[in-house]
Order: sequence, then C-alpha cells, then structure tokens
Amino acid sequence: MLTKNFLLTKIFILIIAICLMQFFSMGSYGVDPEEILQDQKQELRARNISKNIRCMICQNQSIDESSASLAKDLRILIRNKIKEGNSNEEIYKFLTDRYGDFILLKPPIKLSTLALWLFPFVFLLIGIFVVFWHNKKSKKF
Amino acid sequence: MRKQLLILPSIFFLLILLIFFYLLIIDRNPSELPSTLLNKNVPKFETESLLKEKKFVSSDVFGKEIKLVNFFATWCKPCRDEHNYIKRFSNQEGIEVIGINYKDNSQKAIGWLKELGNPYSNIAVDKNGRIAIDWGVYGIPETFIVNSKGIIKYRHVGPVTKKIYKKINLIINEIE
Repeated sequence: MLTKNFLLTKIFILIIAICLMQFFSMGSYGVDPEEILQDQKQELRARNISKNIRCMICQNQSIDESSASLAKDLRILIRNKIKEGNSNEEIYKFLTDRYGDFILLKPPIKLSTLALWLFPFVFLLIGIFVVFWHNKKSKKF
Repeated sequence: MRKQLLILPSIFFLLILLIFFYLLIIDRNPSELPSTLLNKNVPKFETESLLKEKKFVSSDVFGKEIKLVNFFATWCKPCRDEHNYIKRFSNQEGIEVIGINYKDNSQKAIGWLKELGNPYSNIAVDKNGRIAIDWGVYGIPETFIVNSKGIIKYRHVGPVTKKIYKKINLIINEIE
C-alpha cells in the first residue's frame, strides 16, 4: 500500500513540475532584429501593442509571436506609426477599422460583448449556489 | 420530486449535443471573417500598374460600374486554382475584374498571366502589402465586389469555387 502511494506522489510531483515549466521557459517571439526600434521606450510600446493584436493567419497567436508575413508587416506598420507620433488608441483604431474587433486578442467591453464578459461570473454564482444547495440537502441524510 | 429533477442534466446535455451537432453540419468556416469594409467606400490608393504605363489611381478606376477586385500572386497556389473562374467572370459574364498583385515579382506575374491568360482590365502592384492591409486582406486570394458607386458589397476569402462563382454572379445581378 505504501509503495503504491509513493508512486502516486511521484506521478503527482511530475505533473506539477511539467505544469510549472511554462513559467520558466521563455516565450517565442517573431520579432526580427532589424525591426526593433532604436528608442527603447517606443520599442516597448510597439511590443505591448503587438501582444494585443491577433495574427489573422495563425489566429491564436499575437503578431508579436507570429512569424507570418502579414504579422511582420503589421509589426513594422505599428512601429512606423509610433515613430510618426500616433497614440496607442489611434493605432488600435487604424487596425480595427480594417480588420474589425477580431484583430484584438481581448474583445472590447461593448453592449454586444457584454454577455461574453458577464456570463462567466453568472455561471460561477450558479455553481456556488448549486454546491451550497447540494451540501445542505446531503447533511440531512 | 427530486427523482424528476434528475432528468434535467440529461436534457441539458442533449441540448448541448444538439447545438454542437448543428454547428458541425451547417455551412460555416470559423476562420472566415466578415469584412469591416462592407458597405464602405473602397480605400484610396495610388500605385504602379503592372501592364500599363499609366499609374493605377483608385479614384479613377472605381465608382463608374460594378467591378470585381481580386488579390492574387504567382506564389499562391489557390490563386492558380481559381484563375479559370476569374477568367469566366470577365469573358463570359462581362464583368470588369481589377487585379491586385500582392507581394509578387512583377516579371513572374507577367509571365504567369501570359501562361494562364489575363482576365484583368487593370492590375495594381502591391509590392509591400500595404494596399492589402487597407482592404483588410489577410489571406489571398481574396475577391471583393465593388458597386458602381465605389462601395464594397461583398468579400470572399479564399479561392473562388463553383459555389462562390454562382454566389458572386447572383449578388452582382441583384445590385445591378
């Protein structure tokens, strides 16, 4: 019995270790050296914007991570716009005007997306309620 | 009463299954997005023309009659696949098709058109892909219908197939 438990503990630790690995690994980036701006502040701004912009070709990656050619074009475009003195809002608007809200990895909070943002909390409340209700009932037995 | 309630999760589960099944069988491509440019004016741009000496100026080209706009490149295999349909639009249906040569080698593009035939009345050269970004293009081939007022009425991402060919003809007949 003891050995079986020991084995289970080992497996458990292994799983935890695999899960934790992601925190120590560096993310992969698609940014090429020649794209990087001289001004570090501007470069940081460009990186932060790029992280929120979806690569339309590999749709679950941001353009910061993707090496698709359209992602590269958009990264360069964002950097040029920053150099020209555009604000972050202007850049986001430029992109959503052309590609729609879908290009933002995080959907904006609007009337049409309210359900998307609120339902997780609604479901959480329902879940908590069900658990309490269930516990109350089972105590009687 | 409690026993009767137990049936609820099963019904709920069945409902979810039905929804998934429905989404599975309907004709839907989740990676295809509606264009935000629908019912808006074509983006303004000026560039070289692939085959003509004169510059390609968008405001001169659009706004007179219905036009198809087709983004293509020689390196794009699906573009070759749809080329016959693009030719049919201009030869059989008599629709003027504007080509936009996306990130391509001009010499190769000219050779490609010589080999396969040229359905385009004019071809804009988009060397660095900047024009495509203004059109919200993300995967060529892409085809747009622009009405006689220069307003985008339809957008198709991917190669024109038999089904899409019919659909585009239908839409053009409707707005004509």
